Amino acid sequence: MSQSKTMSILKDNLWTNNPIFIQILGICSTLAVTNNLRNTAIMTIGVALTTAFSSFTLSAIKELIPRKVRMIVQVLVISFYVIIIDILLRAYLPDVSKQLGPYVGLIITNCIIMGRAEAFAQANKPLLSFWDGLTSGLGYMAVLMAIAVVRELLGFGTLFGLRVLPTAFVPWTIMIMAPSAFFLVAMVMWWAKNMQAAKAKPAQGKAGTPAAKPATPPAQPAKA
Amino acid sequence: MKKDSILYVVVFTFVISAIFVTGLALANEGTKDRVAANRELTSQAAVLGALGISYGNPDEAKTLYAAAVTPIADASPRAYRATVDGSSFLAVEQSGAGLWGTITVIVAADPAGDRIRGVQVVSQNETPGLGGRIEESWFLDQFRNEASAKGIKVTSGAESKGTGDVNPDNGLVDGITGASRTSSAFESIINAALARVRAVAGGAL
Repeated sequence: MSQSKTMSILKDNLWTNNPIFIQILGICSTLAVTNNLRNTAIMTIGVALTTAFSSFTLSAIKELIPRKVRMIVQVLVISFYVIIIDILLRAYLPDVSKQLGPYVGLIITNCIIMGRAEAFAQANKPLLSFWDGLTSGLGYMAVLMAIAVVRELLGFGTLFGLRVLPTAFVPWTIMIMAPSAFFLVAMVMWWAKNMQAAKAKPAQGKAGTPAAKPATPPAQPAKA
Repeated sequence: MKKDSILYVVVFTFVISAIFVTGLALANEGTKDRVAANRELTSQAAVLGALGISYGNPDEAKTLYAAAVTPIADASPRAYRATVDGSSFLAVEQSGAGLWGTITVIVAADPAGDRIRGVQVVSQNETPGLGGRIEESWFLDQFRNEASAKGIKVTSGAESKGTGDVNPDNGLVDGITGASRTSSAFESIINAALARVRAVAGGAL
């Protein structure tokens, strides 16, 4: 794989085509886990690894998969990796496994994984697909961790369970509940879109051509 | 064989499922003992926690458990006799319906069921951040040495003070704001457990 391609995939997945604030994928889990930094970190690492490995596997066997059962095979491969993660957590990190409870199993429903399998791994080489899956997961992680910092800090007064704000601070209960993630995700989207639009404008003015990369992604199913 | 022929599709699906399922079965088999040991430790830790015995590491927990706790044979769900600081206690496992799923707790009390020694949550699937907070220590610590001869009442709204009920003699415990259903489910589970403690003390299994 060429270096420019890997760099452009990295930039795409972290910023110009970020799964959360551009593609609007994986929103359910964003609402559910981001009230706690530790759970967010483990969940997003799980998602990044699952996306990377399932993209790699699906890309490696893509020539063999009949089109009729393509999606079934994708789900099979994705669930395989999710269950492996679940088994490893249960055996080696029982506390974390107990805390995450049903969320580990729910990694499988994260649209980012299937989205990358459909949109990228179908048409690219295994290693490149692995890199694409991993960076997509990192883009997801970056946004979720940022949201989790705000939610845990204001909702519990702690970061990673360590008290940061004085005990006199009255926690904002709304920050623990799912609705606050809606506000925060919307704010992140607003900020990111504004930044991207501001960057696109001067480029347009100078060169007289549209920005090299359109801010809007190719049409993707916007489900959570 | 053509890739779109029915035979290929069926064979391919069968083979690929077999490969991945075998992988999972191997992973499960390889970690089975570890998972069972973890589960054993979790259940021992819950009993120790309910009895108010603190421990530093898993090995210490095992020794303390062996020294203080005797499981009652044939009791179902599980029940334990324990001696802490010279006085004897009974601990019982109790399950009941929560808001979303089953809540399982360990309740330790004196054999007459007049005073709770402590409560630990073994498993629950309540709403994270709301009902899920029944696992947090501020909530469970309210049960420590609480008088329970007339049962426990989990209060909510105007009755509760919002700081956790610190009086161990009134049989009252503050509920969780935003989780009234979980709180009241918890109340009935604890009271059922106290009834079972008295029954076990009376010789029932």
